[in-house]
Amino acid sequence: MPRPFHFKIKIFSMALYETVFIARQDLSADDVDALTGKFTKIITDGKGKIVSREYWGLRNLAFKVKKNSRGHYVLLNIKCEYPVVAELNRVMSYNEDIIRSAIFNVESHRDESSLFASQTAKDYKPGKSQAKPNSIDSLIDQIQIDI
Amino acid sequence: MSIKKADEGYVKVSLVNQSVFIRKKKSCPLRSIPLPEITYKNLKLLNKFLSERGKILPSRITNVVPKKQKALANAIKIARQLALISPIKKEF
Repeated sequence: MPRPFHFKIKIFSMALYETVFIARQDLSADDVDALTGKFTKIITDGKGKIVSREYWGLRNLAFKVKKNSRGHYVLLNIKCEYPVVAELNRVMSYNEDIIRSAIFNVESHRDESSLFASQTAKDYKPGKSQAKPNSIDSLIDQIQIDI
Repeated sequence: MSIKKADEGYVKVSLVNQSVFIRKKKSCPLRSIPLPEITYKNLKLLNKFLSERGKILPSRITNVVPKKQKALANAIKIARQLALISPIKKEF
């Protein structure tokens, strides 16, 4: 016999997520930090946790997106339940300062940052690579493909 | 029948009256790189598996294992959406 509706309680387990969003090129470093602060508040209100955050700098885009040729890249590593991420996705899609955004469900977070990055936009120094040297970089150089 | 190593890519097989060259099987170029390392952030790796025009190279040319080719293709498609890689490189 099926249970009545009020007995059904959906339990969401804590999962690991990775979000990347691109902010408009006109924004200053303080604006980007304020924007990420807005999103971290959504997650902490939903009893989630931010494992780490990265700022990749004002990078050149490969093609123009909404009349922008450059953009601020920010990555957030999150541990929270699914409805919190759904809310974050909704808020990010409505925000006009954000050009593109993406959320991935991942099995584990990586400690090393692959692109040159700093924690906040204020600390970022252009031209200086602040990422740790990746152990696999030397292996990638050895790959040779002859067509 | 005797087998001699003629070249790096080929193996010379000499039968009774004739000798034939057989192409050796190439191994996967990503054998030393673990699967979780193939992500959209690793642009250095992804650019090696694109053609001059920016297309994904097929595995019959690069000899990548099917599991890693799938991960590679997914990573490239995500990187294109985030404007890290251009989908087409035009010649001028």
